[in-house]
Amino acid sequence: MNKVLKSEIIRTLFIRFLSSLLTLFLLVSFLFFIIRLAPGDPTDKYVSAKLGSELSERIAEKFSLNQPVADQYFAFVSNIFKGDLGVSYNYRLPVFNVIWEYFSFTLIFASISFILQLSLSIWCAVWVVRKQNKWVEKFTSNFSLFVYSIPAFVLGVTLIYVFSVYLDLFPISGLTSLDHDGLSFFPRIFDLMHHLILPLITLSAGGVALFYKYAKESLDEIKNQTFVVNLRASGLDENIILKKHILPNAIRPLISVAGVELGIILGGTLITEVIFSLPGMGRLAIDSILSRDYPLVIGCVFTAGAVMILANFLADLVKLKIDKRMIKGILN
Amino acid sequence: MNNKIINLLLLSFLSLLIIACDSKQSTNNNRIVIGISADVQTFNSLFAFSYEESVIADLLYPGLLDFRWNTQRGELDIYPMIVESWQWSNDSSFIKFFLRDNIFWSDGEKLTSADVVFSYDVYSDPDVQSRLFGTFNQLYTDSDGLIDISKTFKVISASEFEIHFPENSIVDLVEVSVPIIPEHIYSNISRDQLGSDEVNFDPVSSGAFKFKKWDRNQTIILEADSNSFLFTSGQVAELIFKVIPDYTSRILQLKKGDIDLVELVKVEDMEDLKAENNLSVINLVGREYDYIGWNNIDPKSFSAGMIKPNKLFGSSNVRKALTMAINRKEILTEYLLSQGELAISPVSSIFNSVFNDQIKPYEYNPEESKKLLTQEGWTDKDRNGILEKGNEEFIFKMYYPVGNPLREYASVVVKNNLKSVGIDVTIEKMELGTFIDNLYDRQLNSWMAAWGVPIPLELKPYWYSDPNIGVLNFACYGNSKADEILDQLDARISNERKNEFVKKFQEVIHQDEPVSFLYWTPNIIVYNNRLKNLNVTPYGVLAHCWEWTLNE
Repeated sequence: MNKVLKSEIIRTLFIRFLSSLLTLFLLVSFLFFIIRLAPGDPTDKYVSAKLGSELSERIAEKFSLNQPVADQYFAFVSNIFKGDLGVSYNYRLPVFNVIWEYFSFTLIFASISFILQLSLSIWCAVWVVRKQNKWVEKFTSNFSLFVYSIPAFVLGVTLIYVFSVYLDLFPISGLTSLDHDGLSFFPRIFDLMHHLILPLITLSAGGVALFYKYAKESLDEIKNQTFVVNLRASGLDENIILKKHILPNAIRPLISVAGVELGIILGGTLITEVIFSLPGMGRLAIDSILSRDYPLVIGCVFTAGAVMILANFLADLVKLKIDKRMIKGILN
Repeated sequence: MNNKIINLLLLSFLSLLIIACDSKQSTNNNRIVIGISADVQTFNSLFAFSYEESVIADLLYPGLLDFRWNTQRGELDIYPMIVESWQWSNDSSFIKFFLRDNIFWSDGEKLTSADVVFSYDVYSDPDVQSRLFGTFNQLYTDSDGLIDISKTFKVISASEFEIHFPENSIVDLVEVSVPIIPEHIYSNISRDQLGSDEVNFDPVSSGAFKFKKWDRNQTIILEADSNSFLFTSGQVAELIFKVIPDYTSRILQLKKGDIDLVELVKVEDMEDLKAENNLSVINLVGREYDYIGWNNIDPKSFSAGMIKPNKLFGSSNVRKALTMAINRKEILTEYLLSQGELAISPVSSIFNSVFNDQIKPYEYNPEESKKLLTQEGWTDKDRNGILEKGNEEFIFKMYYPVGNPLREYASVVVKNNLKSVGIDVTIEKMELGTFIDNLYDRQLNSWMAAWGVPIPLELKPYWYSDPNIGVLNFACYGNSKADEILDQLDARISNERKNEFVKKFQEVIHQDEPVSFLYWTPNIIVYNNRLKNLNVTPYGVLAHCWEWTLNE
């Protein structure tokens, strides 16, 4: 890569970084006004028969909720530039501290699911393409469509009924068993896996089916292209053709989808988190919306937005790694 | 080669899976697991605003006195808690309290009078904004609600102190007793930082259970504190709150034996759970009732600062007619499977000494309802099936918050019932936050909601005509006779007189029917039969759970 191209890449990445920050800023600013325009008051819950409305008025004052919205916004913006999204009304802690407690689990959970989705779907698609059996193709195609059309909450509840209630193989909910702390290292890992298998299946099933469809279509398209036919005619081993020539080309469109899908998985964890009582950010976001915890709502959206932008960026970098010819498209 | 690696990985994964599936569950049976729907956000009693938080805080931080529900009289009996005894002064101007000798905080420090004084000071501090702020009207306070410590408390020794009351103040010991927090822990923290300090997540307590572990949105583990004055040798070793937001999951885990107790079980699941050999069911009725609110005044005029009677619901006869037109028993029988009770007034039958059993409910009677409406000038002159009075047709929207199947069902019954007497109702669902906001602004004409009834019984905030006092009087009900009675209840009178006033108040309310009282909804509690000594009362399911034991 020549120097000009390198500096062009750095310049473009910098611009992209700035535009991402601007996007996030606009997103949280828009949200700031939208949630305040929506009906509902975060201090309503402090009014009760015993307390009257005095406490709610004092709490409104403490969190500057009685200030004009414009003043609140300017304070919010000046805090943002200090890297501070404010204090959660419910938790009375800095928003980032609260989010980190929950986001770390969601990030790990979604990442495992994402890796599972990609690897399983590609492995499955390659296996079906290699088999070259019409019945197998038909079955997998229909089955993936069937799996994709099952809503996560139906799948989750069904898995619980079958595997937890009737077969008693897995726990119904939770991340660890009550005796988790008393276990040694390996049993702890097993315990965690034991609890995460059904949630992972619930979260990943739809994605596996989706990626499988993309991967299969892409593989079918590439394997019939002239360059592959030429390679085959030159007597190259079928395995080498698949691994070195078909797969890298077929995987490209999948990566674009994967970038978007990672964001969707993060959003989709909510249902799984509720069904299996897992401690993730989805539940935190919903609770904060319902209780009108404005700073926390903004913090959750900010985090989700940042992850979405980052995921797309990473997807582009991976595409670039796979095929350097794509650099211009990505830079543009 | 690659295939071999993949196969090896798959094999390892499957082996791990089998081991994981085979791993035996807990062997520690000396614990009780309670299923809850939402996690706590703090263990600090000062900020325990949610139901779950207050239950746990009350377990960790006992107050001066203990309260137990007396089913016969329908009121609270008072017993000593962290105090051994107390003595009223001859002129009732103060109480002298004697702390127990054997009270220690979970970190080994002794609980003293200083902790008590500090607790009252912090709870009432306007900078702290605690859950009890503004509730110390019977003590000496300044204009901001902060207790005047020098006037209110007289510390005699580490285990003796007096609480003094202003002249003519009406002392309710239930209000006087607050959960006591440790001074040596909280006094080192700036008051405005009390809500966010790390100490809130590793509390030092004095109750029968102390904090052991908290996995956010997973479990809260409390363990028996052998140093606590409440500790007994038969006490369970651990009390675990398991956060399970999904209702179906809670029920499945209850059946499976993963959890021992669940509150607020749906009526439709009751029979199924009763059939389980390992489970028992308790139905507590009388702490919450559903009602249809009729705004007694015109919302638009209210916004403009004027009070005008509501065109549709301003007359008590119309409101009575509406109640008579609604078949409440049908909802009670069909949806609540007769597990609730018909509501007549805001006082439930559990409050035996004040419940007025002479009042007869308005029976479902569409004909009588029509007659009353005709008397009030509502007739169907144009024969379009809807009543009119002048140019006004009897058409309105009724709102209820989303996510409540009972109200969804009831609203359809109400709509059909009212249609049959010539009233056209459109049912609208509303998001809970928006709904509450509209109620506070008195902007809804008609709505369906519920009220929880506090113990001790509180009526003034719900029914007093002055909106600054009747902050929860969303129906904008106003009757000078009712106000007078409510004022009398605040005066220094005997309990017998008080009871008479409450009975009288129910008569006034019944006469005015400010809202249509529907039914007292059940709180169904299901627990595992291995739990013994449960004393579940309307005052609280877990109020004395340290006395629970387990079957051998």
